[in-house]
Amino acid sequence: MEATNGQTKAGDWQNFERILLPPIRDLHTLDVYEAEYDGYQAIQKVLKEWEPGEVINEVKQANIRGRGGAAFNAGLKWSFMPPKGDRPRYLACNADESEPGTYKDRQLMEYNPHLMFEGILLANYAMEMDACYVYVRGEYADWITHMERELEKLYQKGYVGENIFGSDFSTDIILHKGAGAYICGEETSLMNSLEGKRGYPRIKPPFPAQKGLWDSPTTINNVETLAHVTLVMRHGADWFSAIGAPTHPGSTIYGISGHVNRPGAYEYPTGMLITDLIEKVCGGMRDGKKLKAVVPGGSSVPPLHVDMVDGVTMDADSLREAGSMMGTGGMLVLNEDTDMVTYLRRVNHFYQHESCGQCTPCREGTGWLEAIVTRIDEGEGNLRDLDLLIDLCDQMEGRTICAFADAAAWPVRYTIERFREDFEAKCKPAVFDTGGVTISA
Amino acid sequence: MSEFDIKKPVVALPDMDPEPQIPEEELFFTEEELERIAGFTEKYPTNRSAVMPALWLAQEKFGFLPPEVMKLVAEALDMPYAQVYGAATFYTQYYKKQMGTYVLDVCCSFSCQACGSYDVLDYLEEKLGIHAGETTEDGRFTIQEVECLGSCGTAPMLQVTNGPYVHNLTKEKLDELITDLRNDKMPPFTSVTLPQDEDEMGGNRRSDVEHTDTYRTPPAPERWI
Ligand SMILES: Cc1cc2nc3c(=O)[nH]c(=O)nc-3n(C[C@H](O)[C@H](O)[C@H](O)COP(=O)(O)O)c2cc1C
Ligand code: SF4
Ligand code: FES
Repeated sequence: MEATNGQTKAGDWQNFERILLPPIRDLHTLDVYEAEYDGYQAIQKVLKEWEPGEVINEVKQANIRGRGGAAFNAGLKWSFMPPKGDRPRYLACNADESEPGTYKDRQLMEYNPHLMFEGILLANYAMEMDACYVYVRGEYADWITHMERELEKLYQKGYVGENIFGSDFSTDIILHKGAGAYICGEETSLMNSLEGKRGYPRIKPPFPAQKGLWDSPTTINNVETLAHVTLVMRHGADWFSAIGAPTHPGSTIYGISGHVNRPGAYEYPTGMLITDLIEKVCGGMRDGKKLKAVVPGGSSVPPLHVDMVDGVTMDADSLREAGSMMGTGGMLVLNEDTDMVTYLRRVNHFYQHESCGQCTPCREGTGWLEAIVTRIDEGEGNLRDLDLLIDLCDQMEGRTICAFADAAAWPVRYTIERFREDFEAKCKPAVFDTGGVTISA
Repeated sequence: MSEFDIKKPVVALPDMDPEPQIPEEELFFTEEELERIAGFTEKYPTNRSAVMPALWLAQEKFGFLPPEVMKLVAEALDMPYAQVYGAATFYTQYYKKQMGTYVLDVCCSFSCQACGSYDVLDYLEEKLGIHAGETTEDGRFTIQEVECLGSCGTAPMLQVTNGPYVHNLTKEKLDELITDLRNDKMPPFTSVTLPQDEDEMGGNRRSDVEHTDTYRTPPAPERWI
């Protein structure tokens, strides 16, 4: 076995035993989850022995960094909830997963949904929530049906609902089916959508913890974040934070797609070398082609040029240093034949299509980004269009209600910065129209 | 003198009260459906929140959501039509116009694009003789270009009428799919086996699904690009 310690923060990843998706047949059913994976032991122990505040502290100490994109400490987020008053309190589980390149939450919902359900119960107990709404994207219709079946069993057994496990704690879990809107993954948009309104993001403040769903205190967490909560409460914060990258601990599901030999969703510790993921995990680039670019965490994060990839590991800090972000951990690998202009054109089309249209810089900006990159892609662009695009990004970033506009601008800014030669090759050569007058130097 | 006439707007306004497309005698919810809608409202603190599940129910029943159906939903939930209209028009999966019996949603977001999804779209367009966004004359198929469906590891892929996913598309697979759909045979739900499960468990971990596929790069001759 190779000594990978020091080289990668993921340590001995070859011998890593999966914890989110352990190799247990039919783990997605309640019986197997209980019999073979200590299912619903953590919640029973916590209900008997722990105070809600202690659970929050344990989760905070474990430093589960939100797996929905922002990588924020889950326990810390929980601690922002105000003390219990007379208003109801809600948890929202974000299963909207629509970021291009991301398909990890679906694996959990299909193969280990009870880990998520138990995490929801633990979170609801810790924050004294009345209910949790699981917002699943509408396209996942088959997986919703499948989860409904398992949830029904939980209600029948008294694991969810009134006085769960015979304790005096009552809480509900409700599955909600979306209907095809990427923006509903944004937390405030998700709340509006759940309230039956158009999925427009809300201005923050007030933050969800103050005024969220139906104006009540609310916390939003990603599916994978909540699944990790179960593992933390089962094995302890120290056990959890010893896995993977020290500042971004735990395991994660890397959803790898694109030009590799064996794409797929792999569970490994955080902090894996990008090169290990491509070469050792996914069996290298297909057809022996050379690597050109890696988009480490969904379409919103800045793509990395092949020259920037060496030594970079998949955790928030390493990726930030390298000039990108962890995002959702959905990694797209592109080979030397990829035209980054065509790539960017399609990414821009996505944002143009999905902008909710509330803010002018975003609604108009995404359209113009697409139009200008299309012009370049069709060979009609001028070199100064590149500056125009960067200028547009400047006008969009940080000037809108939600982070969508930033997410739309970053790929443009960094693809142009890092793959400028692709763009220049497609632009018309720079000529000065002097109206026939010869200018001597 | 200005040419502008306020009575003749430059941009044609949408017809706010179009001819109903659902025959009046079919335009109702049964007792059982109304009960289901009442069941939705119990899950949320307000009736308004039940609009999404109610619209899903209506779409399953009527196939699409013309204004008269939205009005029906508004009545069932005791909420203003404008709010139902607002919600229904925000989401792409609610069909505002009549679609083909089978809607082929081809994902063309970046992972699928990188694996040839536009070739898939071209192939389908040619095979069915329509462009993306259109419906065949016999009303059987609609093709749409859609955004990431959350199955990027099996790119290129598509979804059939908000239902089952078809993974790792090849020309043969598309031909088979179209033939099956012409005979009203929907593709089955397919589990995609995790690569680590293949190595450690020798295949799919679920014993309750019949159809499985794997994350893979299609062999070269089948590949689009
Ligand atoms: C435009 C936009 C789209 C988002 N989409 C998702 C999504 O699909 N799934 C998700 O979990 N988080 C998504 N997020 C992040 C959420 O707003 C939120 O930060 C996250 O769900 C919090 O969960 P976590 O702390 O557990 O990561 C999105 C954010 C933005 C700005
Ligand atoms: S930034 Fe874009 S997506 Fe976000 S609220 Fe504004 S218009 Fe909507
Ligand atoms: S890009 Fe096609 S499924 Fe994600």
